[in-house]
Amino acid sequence: MTSVRVYQQLATLTLGLLLAACGASTVNVQGQYPVPNVNKLPLTLGVYYDDSLRNYSYIEYSETGAAEYEVNIGQTHLDFFSTVLPGLFENVVVLESAEATSVDEVDAVFIPLIEDFQLALPQKTKLDAYEAWIKYNMRLESKEGEHIADWVVTSYGRTPVGGLRSIGSAINDAGALAMRDLGRSIIDFSNVPEIKSWLERRFNMQIADPIERNPSTGVPGQEPVF
Amino acid sequence: MNYLFRTNRVYILLLAALTSCGTTTTIDEFRQGETSLSTEDSVVLLGRRGDSNISADFVECVGNRLASSESAIAIVPEQEFVDAMYPWFEPLNAPQKASQLDGLLNERAVSEKMAELDVRYMIWLSGETERVGSNGTLTCALSPGGAGCFGGGYREYSAEYEARVWDVESRSLVGSLNADGAGTTYVAAVVVPIILPARVEPITCDRLAAQLESFLVGSQ
Repeated sequence: MTSVRVYQQLATLTLGLLLAACGASTVNVQGQYPVPNVNKLPLTLGVYYDDSLRNYSYIEYSETGAAEYEVNIGQTHLDFFSTVLPGLFENVVVLESAEATSVDEVDAVFIPLIEDFQLALPQKTKLDAYEAWIKYNMRLESKEGEHIADWVVTSYGRTPVGGLRSIGSAINDAGALAMRDLGRSIIDFSNVPEIKSWLERRFNMQIADPIERNPSTGVPGQEPVF
Repeated sequence: MNYLFRTNRVYILLLAALTSCGTTTTIDEFRQGETSLSTEDSVVLLGRRGDSNISADFVECVGNRLASSESAIAIVPEQEFVDAMYPWFEPLNAPQKASQLDGLLNERAVSEKMAELDVRYMIWLSGETERVGSNGTLTCALSPGGAGCFGGGYREYSAEYEARVWDVESRSLVGSLNADGAGTTYVAAVVVPIILPARVEPITCDRLAAQLESFLVGSQ
């Protein structure tokens, strides 16, 4: 009887190990995000992180349809926004709910959402780089819950093949670089036409035109395909 | 004892000569403006990423050579600069032309940080080292009686780099330098493999840094 139980336990353990070996590798994207070097806007911004952002996960499938990599990018977005937003606004308040309109001290509520994530692995693209694209829908509401603006931004990260790092580490680097690239769009916050007119109307702010920057993405022939 | 020391020294010199003789480099310089560096001025080297696969190691190598050169040029490390200026020098956001510095430096936070770091010249590096050819076979075997390799071959490497020098003060391109290198790594094995590496990338880095040093301080 005892030996039967031992065999059962061994079989369960073996099956468990086999299943674990067949499962997708998990990549929890982590990166270093600096404080933006910009002039702060004199606003108190409420920010609400929806569960879909907090728990955003992307699964990369193999050509046979098996899950290969599970890329978790929710937590790294919280790390990114908690570093970047206080560099852009005088005050930032994290809200527990998007309906927390009772928070009188905020001037507006910012709700970032991920719409899509794409990964390009050199094993499939035959290119010499790992690439990641993230598409966002950014939303700004007044503290009373009125819509101010919805705008779509995309960010891109690319890291070349090479060195002795693992595929998971390269995916992490591409994801973290895409996160850093998001800073490029975030600093143009006040130049979104609806936000610009809201700032001028509500706070009598004069918003300077955006600095002349690169007209294209700078990555020839590598546009995201969302 | 003295004889042994002298013999070892000869071998080391011979090996050093063999490892560097397989590499050739060509440097072209195009100057568009005067350059001068005061003791307070610093230089930042940045890799142009996105359209080139330049490695951070190459950028660091050129920076280290300039810092340890006779002129002891003050170098702001690339990552430190990019983080301090975030997100203005991220790969897709960085200025592509020196004339774009004008608008960028009108942003108070950017000009203050640039002044704080005393950056006088910004050097944009692009290019890469590639393996362009190889031939030969090398077979190694392991048995209870011992291990050994037999055969030989070579690998050809090519390096092409460009350095564009921007003057932050005049907000203009003051010159560009091109460094091309080529070399072959040889491997020959009769039991023990002997490798003569081409060292294309470090040698191209040395030569480019030497030329950059003379470019930056040469016209004073």
